[in-house]
Amino acid sequence: MMEYILKNGIVYDPANGINGEKKDVMFKDDIIVDEVSADAKVIDVTDKIVMPAGVDPHAHVAGPKLVVGRLYRPEDSRMGVSQKTKVLRSESGFSIPSCPTTGYRYSRMGYGTVVEAAMPPLEAKHTHEEIATIPNIDIPALPLFGNNWFVMEYAKDKNIEDLAAFISSWLKISKGYGVKIVNPCGSEAWGWGMNVHGYDDKAPYFDVTSREVVMALAEANEMLGLPHSIHIHPNDLGHPGNVPTTLETLDSVKNIKKSSKATIRDQVMHVTHLQFHSYTGNSWKDAGSGAVEVADYINKHDHITCDVGQVTFDETTTMTADAPMEYDLFKLSGLKWTNKDIECETAAGIIPCIYSKKSPVSTLQWGIGLELFLLINDPWKVCLTTDHPNAGPFMRYPRIISWLMSNEKRQDMCENEVHKWIYKRTTLPTIEREYDFYEIATITRAAPAKIYGFEDRGALTPGYKADIAVYDINPNDIDPSKQALDIEKGFTVADYTIKDGQILVKDKEIVKVKESQNIWVNVKGWERQEQKVIDNIMPFFTQYYSVKWENYPVQDHYVSNPIRVDVEK
Amino acid sequence: MTYEPPITDYDYIVENCTCAFCGCNCDDLDYLVKDGHVVAVRHACRLGASKIMEDMDQRLLVPMIRDENGELMEVDWDTALDKAAEYIANSIRPVFYGWSETSTECMKEGLALGEYIGAVLDNQATICHGPSLQAVQNAGYPIQTLGEVQNRADMIAYSGSNAMNSHPRHMARYAVFCRGYFRQRGRFDRTVVTMDPKFSDTAKCSDKWIGFEQNGDYGFYNAIRAVLRGKELYQDVISGIPKEDIYELAEEMKNAEFGVLFFGLGLTHTLSKQRNIDIAIKMVQDLNKYSKWGLTPMRGHFNVNGFNIFMAFETGFAFGVDFARGTTRYMMGETNTIDLLVRKEPDCFMVIAADPGAHFPNGANQHLADIPVIQIDIHWGPSTELADVVLPGSFIGVECDGTSYRMDGVPIYMKKAIDKPETCRDDEWIVRELKERVMKLREEPNVAPKYVPNSNLDLAM
Amino acid sequence: MVRIGGIIVHYANTYLEKPVVPDVKITGEGNTKVLKCMLNTGSDIYQGACKKRGSTLKEEYKNASGTCYMDPRDMAKLGVNNWDTVLVKTDFGEVVVNCAVSRDAPHEGTVFICKGPWANTVVSHDTYCCSDPTYKGIRCTVEKTDRKVLLMADLMRWVYKKYVDETDDDVVENMDSLGELPVYKGRKWEELIDHDL
Repeated sequence: MMEYILKNGIVYDPANGINGEKKDVMFKDDIIVDEVSADAKVIDVTDKIVMPAGVDPHAHVAGPKLVVGRLYRPEDSRMGVSQKTKVLRSESGFSIPSCPTTGYRYSRMGYGTVVEAAMPPLEAKHTHEEIATIPNIDIPALPLFGNNWFVMEYAKDKNIEDLAAFISSWLKISKGYGVKIVNPCGSEAWGWGMNVHGYDDKAPYFDVTSREVVMALAEANEMLGLPHSIHIHPNDLGHPGNVPTTLETLDSVKNIKKSSKATIRDQVMHVTHLQFHSYTGNSWKDAGSGAVEVADYINKHDHITCDVGQVTFDETTTMTADAPMEYDLFKLSGLKWTNKDIECETAAGIIPCIYSKKSPVSTLQWGIGLELFLLINDPWKVCLTTDHPNAGPFMRYPRIISWLMSNEKRQDMCENEVHKWIYKRTTLPTIEREYDFYEIATITRAAPAKIYGFEDRGALTPGYKADIAVYDINPNDIDPSKQALDIEKGFTVADYTIKDGQILVKDKEIVKVKESQNIWVNVKGWERQEQKVIDNIMPFFTQYYSVKWENYPVQDHYVSNPIRVDVEK
Repeated sequence: MTYEPPITDYDYIVENCTCAFCGCNCDDLDYLVKDGHVVAVRHACRLGASKIMEDMDQRLLVPMIRDENGELMEVDWDTALDKAAEYIANSIRPVFYGWSETSTECMKEGLALGEYIGAVLDNQATICHGPSLQAVQNAGYPIQTLGEVQNRADMIAYSGSNAMNSHPRHMARYAVFCRGYFRQRGRFDRTVVTMDPKFSDTAKCSDKWIGFEQNGDYGFYNAIRAVLRGKELYQDVISGIPKEDIYELAEEMKNAEFGVLFFGLGLTHTLSKQRNIDIAIKMVQDLNKYSKWGLTPMRGHFNVNGFNIFMAFETGFAFGVDFARGTTRYMMGETNTIDLLVRKEPDCFMVIAADPGAHFPNGANQHLADIPVIQIDIHWGPSTELADVVLPGSFIGVECDGTSYRMDGVPIYMKKAIDKPETCRDDEWIVRELKERVMKLREEPNVAPKYVPNSNLDLAM
Repeated sequence: MVRIGGIIVHYANTYLEKPVVPDVKITGEGNTKVLKCMLNTGSDIYQGACKKRGSTLKEEYKNASGTCYMDPRDMAKLGVNNWDTVLVKTDFGEVVVNCAVSRDAPHEGTVFICKGPWANTVVSHDTYCCSDPTYKGIRCTVEKTDRKVLLMADLMRWVYKKYVDETDDDVVENMDSLGELPVYKGRKWEELIDHDL
């Protein structure tokens, strides 16, 4: 038995309403407690920031498209190479780090949980192999449902009960956490080199619209009472003039009632990388920011949460299950284009992307992201992401935090660094709001944990996992609006990162590496309906999938150490 | 060949086993087992059946070490493992080659050993689809799973690949003859084109054979690209093909609803190597302006793709990864096995689940005659004739379970059907034992005292 | 039928002594002594089946891999018939192989040898800095010979001489054959089962 006290830290724990109190945090083995014995080891963190370990609600860190990215971009891998130490293996990668590197870098930033945002069920084994290779962080994965042929059939027939049983079954089969939807019907249309345009367009041959698919999935999600809501990447990503599609998508689920079993979250839809969905105009020539309109909708409605997908001005690698969009990018940039279609389920595309401060479009995207952060009033509705690696690598989070906390820094960038579109096409230079540490703790920990319905992390509540981060920043001593660089430095490497009560980072060095855990949702009480659904689809599966049913599920072999979240009927 | 009656004398059947031969990884095989041996296989092609019905005469059953007379002596496991570990621990430039016919679980142990001692890890891609990987790094990688091909494709092109001989069920199970959701009539709904200088068995059952001349691949694809981009061809005959045929083919490809180009070693082994693949990828990218096209390299070994995927997620590089400096390093044409051997760099060579004796050119293999060679394999083969320590492994997908990745990247869990011979060991066990023994023999070299981030990361620290 | 650890097991047999080739009688004059050709290597189904079954020491592998497939017109020029032996030479080495009529003919001027130890002695190790040797499109000459095609083990001994003291090619070529079965020395594996590990 090990007991620890983190002494005299300044604690930011929004889930418990603790805003910068000087307070001890105690944990015993892997659990946070409210008292320890006299034998407890004392770690002096006087006047340093103590927060729950970070929770990243949306990143692409493990799975088939990541590996294709690494495989075809050695130039990116080379950018991050470091020499091995007694504790660490050699790192590699900038925007698409290798699996061990991913774990190390999140750990250094004080993160403890990262959601892998897109897992094709057919290749779920691959995703889980990678998750098992990433150390130090827990990783739930969201299987893709939005272009699944079975889902589209159920949605067309408005057969919500069978759809719910299908989801329940597929979460078990792929060891997934929730329902991810990417460009609904659009990725299926990409099977024929096409896309859908708008929310009411149909996938070819399937006679079902994007709206019908999303609404059916949202209803099924609430029928099951999953801890997380549907997690959507809407249609028309990255297209100037996509604001109406985005708003229609958000508005379509406002009358769907949240399940009474989902007690932690408030939303019925989480919309991801909203920045890419908030463009006005008709083409890149006259594109502008739609952030005001979109933020206004979110401010006025409580059934939606979002994360931003903030552009960071780096050379990165875009990768998404929105494959037609990636081909559009290829037509614009001509860089090396990768595509990966997955039978009966989804598609994916990858292309390198250079976000430059000199480019008007990159500047616009950067501005829209920050506008969303600053215009959405309630920090519980918005999370910090870069949609890693799409808008930038996750290791830029500290830099984004420094932008959010300093109007001076933003104004300086608008004036001296970025393209002049920032004044013409966005309202960013007119916004003075600055985040405080409490709000930062909300958008990086508390809000994502609440949105995902986590009952064991994201807060320093006794009984929760001892996932804690300590940063070498003295909030009483620093002026974030004037010391942006110091804020960035402070959040870049945690003083301590504690995961499950184990000290992984100490004095800004990784001292220990631990096995990661997958988190998956096990819905109970649907076994009979699940069997019926499987029996019904079996003839189709046998004929049109290229693997045998026996080889389709993720065997226990691949999730040796999972955290299973049971959902009772 | 004489007629053989079907095997009826068996104890039981193990269903849905995965074939451990080519990159098709057919997972619908049934093994007929009698007295703990597979006596017949259902659904497999000639190649798969032949591999699973292995030649027990040549099965390696006992560890062996070369004695001073140059003869292989049978020894116990401890002696053999110690000897192999000693060779590895005493080397300064070890190369661990192979891995494509074993599981990713075994690779994990091998990688740990390689990172510890500072070895080069490389696989068979280095002699087959290495140029394809290089081309992918140049130009991109538009692929799809084989089920997509089955369900949607109405035009299939094989280029420099003789599927009927090297992937015999590819056409039947995934690409050509099978019924698909949008291709209910199977073969009749698809146009098959074979592009190959040779009138191969695949060409013989295609609708169209484009017999471009030897080393004419690049010129041929270049011409198609030109046509796709609306250019006129000035020469009447290009790479041995009349220009009218090129116009016609380009038109057909544009009008396909869903086309797939499968390419093989015919492109990677000829003079233009990765340039051939480069231009083929770019042709596919151009075709996507008109319709939907993808491609897939016809990977040879059942897990050759698996090693590339595994190394990419573990280290960031697909193959030929050099850990000698305590960092991950990869340089095409420098840290790859053939180049290393031709330069006579390695001083210890471990070959696992591969056969350089059978497949490396003489000019590379000559160096293996000068250095200690450790072989982990299941059969006595050409590499055994060069090996100094022989460690008998087990047969993945038959005697041992494990993960493999199909040519299109779909992971398959290959299950165990029968027990391995008593004296053999699982590959994973052997490599782990070697790792532990090497760790006892030698302190880890090239360890940095402190982590220093790469300055390219531009971190505020 | 095979004996495994004292038990006789009947199993489906995939052994095939020689690949099936077109049964054509060549009646050329054989006026050409040395034929200049383009050499390609690669795999075919016979080579693949035999190699992966593990029968590499056997006659079958010698015939599947150590055979030069030729256009019948080229064979007529040399005056050779199916399963005669020819000597193939390139800048990188020479090897004696069988010759046979190609199933993929016509391809006058091009010969094909399946990958394997025989082809290895004549292909180019040049990778041009892209990892892959040049296995195809190599200039070669083909001539009729009386020398025998070596079995795999004998060929490996002849080419690499790793475990013979002799350096003279001719002497090694004519040494006693190592045979078609593995040669196990020391304790027999049956004895090791109970004692080891």
